[in-house]
This record gives sequence, structure tokens and C-alpha cells, in this order.
Amino acid sequence: MNNDALKELLYKMADDLLILGHRNSEWTGLGPLLEEDIAFSSMAQDKIGQSYALYQILHDLGEQAPDTIAFTRNASQFHNCQLVELPNQEYDFSLVRHFLFDTADFLRWELLTQSSYEPLALLAKKIKGELRYHTLHANTWVKQLGSATTESIARLQHSLEQALPYALGIFEESPFEKEIISTRLFAGEEELKKQWLQKINEVLIQTQLRVPDISTLTPITGGRSGHHSEHLTLLLNEMGEVFRIDPTAEW
Amino acid sequence: MKSLDPRVARLPQVADTKAKTALDQFGTFEVFVQAKEGKPFQHEGCVHAPNLEMAYILAKEAFTRRFTCVSLYVVDTQDVSASPTTEGNQNVYSLIDDVKDGPDKKWYEVYHLTKRGKQHVHAGSLEAGSPGGAFSKAKSLWGADKVIYNVWVAERGKIRFTTPEEQDLWNTLPEKKFRDASDYKGGEKLKNFLDAKSK
Repeated sequence: MNNDALKELLYKMADDLLILGHRNSEWTGLGPLLEEDIAFSSMAQDKIGQSYALYQILHDLGEQAPDTIAFTRNASQFHNCQLVELPNQEYDFSLVRHFLFDTADFLRWELLTQSSYEPLALLAKKIKGELRYHTLHANTWVKQLGSATTESIARLQHSLEQALPYALGIFEESPFEKEIISTRLFAGEEELKKQWLQKINEVLIQTQLRVPDISTLTPITGGRSGHHSEHLTLLLNEMGEVFRIDPTAEW
Repeated sequence: MKSLDPRVARLPQVADTKAKTALDQFGTFEVFVQAKEGKPFQHEGCVHAPNLEMAYILAKEAFTRRFTCVSLYVVDTQDVSASPTTEGNQNVYSLIDDVKDGPDKKWYEVYHLTKRGKQHVHAGSLEAGSPGGAFSKAKSLWGADKVIYNVWVAERGKIRFTTPEEQDLWNTLPEKKFRDASDYKGGEKLKNFLDAKSK
């Protein structure tokens, strides 16, 4: 197996999870309900744990230690899609992003349970329950607010339209796409996107939200090759602050 | 200046004689957790939520993000019927009347409080025609056992259970010890820090 193809896949997945985990953790203490604050914070923690497990696999493949990878790279060295780095804005945007990203994430890991790369297949099986909760949580909120009041429906609709072009950027293809598929490392972004569209429609059809015609949207890509918005640099500065002051700090 | 304290702001104005309006708040849902396979479900507390499904997802993290468990369910507080509460040696079942139950039987879950100040624990399931019938039948089944201080019954069909495929929700929980305060050896770190400082 081509190690570059494998590393590219691992990096983009880990970076998505780390950056979104950090973003979502910014809601800790500020969530709209006590119980929701706890739930959203727990899921953010899960995501950072999942990214750690992926960085650990990369470390086993000869990359640097997880903390070094997480805290010392520049924005242009990150492979996350731009969706996950966008600021939280109001809670409706964070929820819609959580729904769009986590649906794709659940399906990606489900496909990876069949991966020819065993460490990834094993990790996929191990975290399935975490991912199941994340999507159950997202779907329940979207169904609830997507059919509740005029304001909640309008807010979700606005956020959905804003987030969708970025969400399509999740599926930006790898330069190794053919190889990734032929070696059965992963079923590929195209297959994932097909399954994702079906799944998000299954949920949205139960709400009063309108799904824009996906074919008319231009995906916002570039994240996978290190092109990011200015928001990522700000996030990385904050996330790595303690590590830069004291790399040996423990807490 | 108008107080921002909700306990004060909620009080009616002296000159205000309008009817009291309902509070803009969610209802409550009772949360039951199963610590281990084969152990009975135990009541852990309640969550506020707009409906049963929302209550389930909010209860999951509010009540089971730390200690290991295998299952959880929720039910609307208004779908739980409660007996009176007794003290000392008085068994609450002695206060429950035998009722003639209707023919339309449904399954009910029954919960016992065996010690004041503790939580209700699942005692068993039975078929009855009404909550009153369920209390009466529970009395015939368990009324002669040890002293019970309070009984709850809830219709099974009103409960949001964890489905068989959702049993994996807690799979990685045993590895999340970092969520427990005991995992942080703060005292030790402080001592090392102070020792290093005094040198």
C-alpha cells in the first residue's frame, strides 16, 4: 500500500476532527441549555479523542508525536475542509454544521469498517457508538428546530444555505483517490457524497426546511491542500498557545 | 430598576391582577439508567426537554457521560404515577386499595423506593388496565415482601428505550476516565510545583 495515500487520508480526517472538536468546545459554558451544553461539550471531546487516535496511527507510521502534529503546524499544513474552521456564529449555524459534518463522518467511518488497513478498520468499529450518538443528537435537533417555530425554521434554513457549499468541500478528492479505492483503503469521496446526500435528505424531508438543488451549488474546496480562510490561523493561535509557552505542560 | 434575578422577576406585580401565565419552560422527563447488564434500571434524576426524543439525547450526556453504564431510558414525568410516601415500618402497599381493573390490558413498569433518600429501582413488569390497576397488581405481587416507601408505575409504551442497535452508545465510556475529577492528581502537581519553587 502507498503510504502517502494512507497518510493523506489519515491527516484530513484527523484535522477535520481536531478543528471541529476545538470549535465546538468554544460553546462549553455558553450552550443554550445546561443539558445541551454538556452534550455538545462531550461530543467535542469525543472528536478530539478521535483525532488523537488518528494522529497516533500517523505517529506509528513515522510522523511526529500527536501533540507536535496538533499544535505546531501552520494553517497551510492542515488538511481539514473549510467547513470545520468557520467561526461558530449563532447556535443554529453550529447545529447545522454539526448535522452536515457528522452525517458525513458517521458514513465515512462506517465505510472504513471495511478498510483494508486494519488499524483504521478497528478504530472505526471501536468508535461506532460515539458516532451513532453524534448523528442521533444532530438529527433530533434538526428535526425539532426544523419544524418548531417560524424563527427556528428561518434560522436553520439560512444556516443550511450558508453551510452547504462548505459541506460539499468535505468531499474534495485526494490526489490518490484512484489508489485509495483500488486498494480498498476507503470507498472514496464520490461514494461517500452519494450516501451523505441520501442521508441528509432523509432527515430534512421530515422538517419544513427546503434543500437547495445541490447541482447548482459550487463546493468550497481547497482545505484538503492547505488553502484555508483566515479563521483557521486565529483558531490555531489560540489552540496552541499553552503548548508554545510550555511544551511540557500537563493538565 | 427591574431585577434580572429570575426568582424575583417571576413574582407577580402588586398592581397586576391578570391571570397567571404559564412559564415559558420545558416539561420534565424522568431518567433511568442501567449500570450493568442484568442489573435493574435505577432512577437517576430528570431532564428538561420539549419532547421525549429530545429528552433522550439530552439525558444521555447529562447522566451517563462519566460512570460506566449499558443502557438508559426516559419517560415524561406526567406519564409516571406515584403512590403516597411512607416512613418507618409502614409499607406503602398497605395504603394501596385493591381496584377492579379494566379489560384493556397494557404493560406497566413498576419501581420501588426501598430506602428514604435513595433512588427508585425497577422492581418488575406487569399487565394492567390502568395505572390504578397496576398499583393494585403490584401490591398482589410484591406487597408482602420487604417494606417499600414509595411506588411508581409507568406504561411501557410511553417509555423511550435504548434500541438494541443503540447499545453501543456507551462502548468507549470506560476509556474516558479523564472525565472523572479523581483522574486529576492536582494535589501532587501542586506539591511538585511548590517544592520546585522553594528550591
